Amino acid sequence: MPKHYRPAGKKKEGNAARYMTRSQALKSLQVNLNLFRRLCIVKGIFPREPKKKVKGNHHTYYHVKDIAFLQHEPLLEKFREIKTYQKKVLKAKSKKNEELARLLLTRQPTYKLDRLIRERYPTFPDALRDLDDCLTMVHLFAVLPASDREKLEVKRVHNCRRLSHEWQAYVSRTHSLRKVFVSVKGIYYQAEVEGQKITWLTPHAIQQVFTNDVDFSVLLTFLEFYETLLAFTNFKLYHSLNVKYPPILDSRLEALAADLYALSRYIDASSRGMTVEPKVDSSSSSQSNDREESELRLAQLQHQLPSSEPGALMHLVADNNEEVEEDEETRACKSLFKDLKFFLSREVPRESLLFVLPAFGGMVSWEGEGAPFKEDDECITHHIIDKPSAGHMYLSREYVQPQWIYDSVNARIILPTEKYLVGRIPPPHLSPFVDNEAEGYVPDYAETIKRLQAAARNEVLPLPGVGAGDLEDPQNLLYAGVMSRTEEAEAARNKKKMATLEKQYHEELKMEITGTSADDLPVEEEGEEGEEEDPEAAIKQVANDEDTRSKLSMSNKKRKLYEAMKMGLEKKNEGVKLIEERKRKLKKAQQ
Amino acid sequence: MTAKKSEAAAEEDKIIDTKRKSGSVKSQKQKPAAKEAKSVEKEVKSLKEEDLLLESGTDSEYDGDGDSLSLNSDDFDSDFYDSEDDGSQRETENGDEVHGHDGSDGNVDDDDESEQVDSENGEEDGSEEGFEQDEAVEESDSSEDEVAPRNTIGDVPIKWYDDEKHIGYDITGKKITKKEKQDKLDSFLATMDDSKNWRKIYDDYNDEEVELTKEESKLIRRMLKGEAPHADFDPYAPYVDWFDWKKESIHPLSGAPEPKRRFIPSKWEAKKVVKYVRAIRNGTIKFDKPEEEPNYYLLWGDDSASDLRGKNLNFVPPPKVKLPGHEESYNPSPEFIPTAEEKAAYELMYEEDRPKFIPKMYTSLRSIPAYENALKESFERCLDLYLCPRVRKKRINIDPESLKPKLPSRKDLRPYPNSCYLEYRGHTGPVTSLSTERSGQWIASGSMDKSVRIWEVETGRCLKVWEFDEVVTCVAWNPLSDFSILAVAMGRDLVLLNTELGTDEEQKKIEDLLNVKDLPELVPSVAKIVTWRQDEKHGGVKITHFKTITYIDWHSKGDYLSTVMASGETRGVVVHQLTKRDTQKLPLKIRGLPVRTLFHPTQRGIFLIATKKNIRVYDLRKREGPIKKLETGLREISSMAIHPGGDNLIVGSKEGKMCWFDLDLSSRPYKTLKNHPKDITNVAFHRSYPLFASCSEDSTAYVFHGKVFNDMNENPLIVPLEILRGHSSSKGQGVLDCKFHPRQPWLFTAGADSIIKLYCH
Repeated sequence: MPKHYRPAGKKKEGNAARYMTRSQALKSLQVNLNLFRRLCIVKGIFPREPKKKVKGNHHTYYHVKDIAFLQHEPLLEKFREIKTYQKKVLKAKSKKNEELARLLLTRQPTYKLDRLIRERYPTFPDALRDLDDCLTMVHLFAVLPASDREKLEVKRVHNCRRLSHEWQAYVSRTHSLRKVFVSVKGIYYQAEVEGQKITWLTPHAIQQVFTNDVDFSVLLTFLEFYETLLAFTNFKLYHSLNVKYPPILDSRLEALAADLYALSRYIDASSRGMTVEPKVDSSSSSQSNDREESELRLAQLQHQLPSSEPGALMHLVADNNEEVEEDEETRACKSLFKDLKFFLSREVPRESLLFVLPAFGGMVSWEGEGAPFKEDDECITHHIIDKPSAGHMYLSREYVQPQWIYDSVNARIILPTEKYLVGRIPPPHLSPFVDNEAEGYVPDYAETIKRLQAAARNEVLPLPGVGAGDLEDPQNLLYAGVMSRTEEAEAARNKKKMATLEKQYHEELKMEITGTSADDLPVEEEGEEGEEEDPEAAIKQVANDEDTRSKLSMSNKKRKLYEAMKMGLEKKNEGVKLIEERKRKLKKAQQ
Repeated sequence: MTAKKSEAAAEEDKIIDTKRKSGSVKSQKQKPAAKEAKSVEKEVKSLKEEDLLLESGTDSEYDGDGDSLSLNSDDFDSDFYDSEDDGSQRETENGDEVHGHDGSDGNVDDDDESEQVDSENGEEDGSEEGFEQDEAVEESDSSEDEVAPRNTIGDVPIKWYDDEKHIGYDITGKKITKKEKQDKLDSFLATMDDSKNWRKIYDDYNDEEVELTKEESKLIRRMLKGEAPHADFDPYAPYVDWFDWKKESIHPLSGAPEPKRRFIPSKWEAKKVVKYVRAIRNGTIKFDKPEEEPNYYLLWGDDSASDLRGKNLNFVPPPKVKLPGHEESYNPSPEFIPTAEEKAAYELMYEEDRPKFIPKMYTSLRSIPAYENALKESFERCLDLYLCPRVRKKRINIDPESLKPKLPSRKDLRPYPNSCYLEYRGHTGPVTSLSTERSGQWIASGSMDKSVRIWEVETGRCLKVWEFDEVVTCVAWNPLSDFSILAVAMGRDLVLLNTELGTDEEQKKIEDLLNVKDLPELVPSVAKIVTWRQDEKHGGVKITHFKTITYIDWHSKGDYLSTVMASGETRGVVVHQLTKRDTQKLPLKIRGLPVRTLFHPTQRGIFLIATKKNIRVYDLRKREGPIKKLETGLREISSMAIHPGGDNLIVGSKEGKMCWFDLDLSSRPYKTLKNHPKDITNVAFHRSYPLFASCSEDSTAYVFHGKVFNDMNENPLIVPLEILRGHSSSKGQGVLDCKFHPRQPWLFTAGADSIIKLYCH
């Protein structure tokens, strides 16, 4: 009898009972793959990796409990209902009963996802923790063109735009934005809301293109869930600010929302050729265009304007200046651009800057109607410009490139503007998400910024040249030959500061060697002979010996882990080495 | 008016008379010419009915009257009734009850309508046909339901009121008192007097007499004849073919006039309307749109809610996306951008290996184009989220150095050999074997240059050299200090040499021992394998074996000496006894080729034989199979050494692994160390210090601290101490042998580079 034989009728056990393949799941749920996918997406159910794959390696396995969870989901029944209802509509249509079809369509069964959100995120921090993907997606869809072919409705794009603006308004208002990074993929923002670090990516505000290798139904299902999630999150956040949500309550404003869209479409069509066309443009210009017909609304909005924010949403939040207890970082962020007034030129990414500058306490205006102050305002301290040269220049202000803002924000100090002036190639834009020390490579500009930061804090950092001596290997210590103990200790302390593994290592070796040589052995000359021959090799040898010695006393498991870790470290170091090599070559080329 | 009535009555009289006499003739007379074609049978039937009617009429006057009225109400059916002679009677009776109202209606009508009709009759007496037609139309128009009956008791048997003074109630609720019954005689007289009396019918429901009008009587008469009650009804109307045949039409289109039902409101529609009306009134149908519930509300009101997620199933949150590094910047440092060559190299790579993102540089923000993979990356993230199995993996983020165990400091474990102190040079070939003299003053070495040398340890002076004809494989000094015999194995010979060390007394003893002139007879089976001989050349004993000797080992008492040959069965290992000049085969069968043998240092008669894979422990006194088998798990054992305490054993293998066995504990290794990349050639224990060493073909020797505790519960402590280098490899061989100094923590190593090294602490 084979080992795996199980008598008929006996219950399964272990992995066979605990996991089922996807097709088994489909069968037991009596749904098709599409519906199953939708359910999985909205319920947040994912396949599992059983220890033993009973049905083979090429299957996807789901936990039985997950499937039972789906089975009891009321949404499943609702989806079925919708399906049958769709059949009804289809039947009416195919019988040319347009009237009935229309009537039926008005009464379609609908479903809500709020319960699911509550279920998946029992507490608010849970939801915030998972908000990264949500925000990225909503921001992406906010700039996508509506498409009939992909069933991406205008309404949804518009909703995405609204939601993203609401979120940005909140972040900007509460000054919880922490880091900004302009990458090729888009602009990364990191905010800290209720202790959770939330990072999201907004595409550059340019007409996005559809690609064919994307299944939009999956994306739209995700989007549906994310929209709901973000709306509820926004509600909660606005609630915490004592602001009513959704922000647009006036029926006239709501009517304007459709108007807004039409206008933006029009503007899009007329300015397709332009490289940078921020969306807020549409809202602001629409604002001005509708001045006559909705003066009431404008009055409402503009008296609330802290003269820096463009969108209607911003004001609603900003209006509510209830002082929340703020932590130190928030205060620092709030006061970064405190007394500065910015003016945005036409070609800079307005949406991003209108979000970032108020978040750090700056006042912004822009070229165009509805702007809080004009270009010729005397108080403007910085003029953000992204052209090779500015036309008419005011002497009272500085003309800088937009990168200056992002770099200053990341550094939390106002950087000197010389390098960012108009017409110059700005210094490299560095990612604020990288821990340079851990990574092993510190770009030059990061060093510079560090020193500037220290200067701003009235501290003195050693010049890079001074540190270099310490950074050198302990080999020179070795060369020195006889060293006093105190010196050794000092060197050791220095090296600890460097805290790089390699060096720590070498230090130990050196100790070894000096230790051995210190011992008065009868064969003094031999040891020294070795050192004289090739001290480096000797050190390496000793290091290796040390390594093998400790490896020997490790258990197999630990040794393998150790070796794997070493390998990983080596890989990382290789990357760093490559970069350093490139840098060296570049320097050589420059000379 | 009365005159007219009387005329009509007279006519009626006549008719009845004629009926009585010859109804058939009368009927024929009355019928129009077209009707004469009717069958005789029908006439007979009508006759019969008349008779019946008359009979009933005689019994009770109103019976007939009710009949006529009922017929009147559904006049179109009259023909049918006529044809069924048997059923007609029944009908009349039923009709009386059912259509009781109708009768009364007729009476009520009587007051106004009959008058009108009469007047009309009077005016146009001559043209009766058209006259009747009009009247029929009028009758059909007038709804009989409109006039309520005088009595309101409803459809209850009249006999209930038989004993009452009233017959019911009128519409105002007042009792309708019964009329006084007339005397029979009076009534008879009245009938006789009144010529119109025959037209009077008593309606017992309303308790009144009703007088039939002329038209009504006409109707009755017609019905009695079996004709349609209305004169204007033409049962033989010409057939109208509504289909227009003349046209060349394929489809039978009818030109028939629209049927009546098209013009009257639908009953079902009406019902439906009523239903809707009710639903609207009840509120089940609403016209104003339902109030929209707020789409969004405070979902997370209080954070006190416990975890609603499935408690038993662990939820793995999706991993976050990796944050971008410097290289993803739109304006990275130039060193992050790959050079042209590197980019070209990327192109040559496989799709999977190619870096997903190649950094690019844009000089200004406005020149950044739309990222073409934005949607795709978003989609891939989505796929990851719902398609990828999530597993919680423990990722230890620690310094790899912390994995290293904390070893006791080497300083604390001193003394141990750590540096080369002396070199013994003199051999011209690889030194294969070493042996230390018990006192620690001398060492002997055998080499491939076919010589054996004795060295003074402290000075490195070569004391003695023996030259042989064959390569020396093994040398072993007798473990007794006062018995300095050196056993040398070369080829198939084992030579016991007198080293000429020690006092004269000792020398004498040795010389005696090595003088083997009078050899005892060996056991024949042994004699095949071994022959003892005096070695004239070197002044010792030469024991020639049948195969090449690979290893020799002295018993600690110095009397027994075991040699190992590359042969299986029982012949692989033999034990020589010096004092008896005897050789014994092992009384055991050895499985596999023996590699090494060992006499147990403390227990008598315990003998260890290492074959290629396993080590077996025998008790030589018992002449039985092994008392213990140690499974090393090694591929090929090369060497073996036992702790002077006798409980611990180390085994070196050709794959560079060393096993530590605790003989009391288990038959499996307590610890396996993989310390050498190449074959281990020898392992050694120090006699007194807690040290052991291994040497290998990779021209290194390892020194370990190996402390065995007296406490049985405590595991032996093994600490690697030092890697001794210095030998250079020649012909792929490194260090061939290593031995500890018997007293000092010093290690001798014999290298293939023909140098012997002494490592001191």
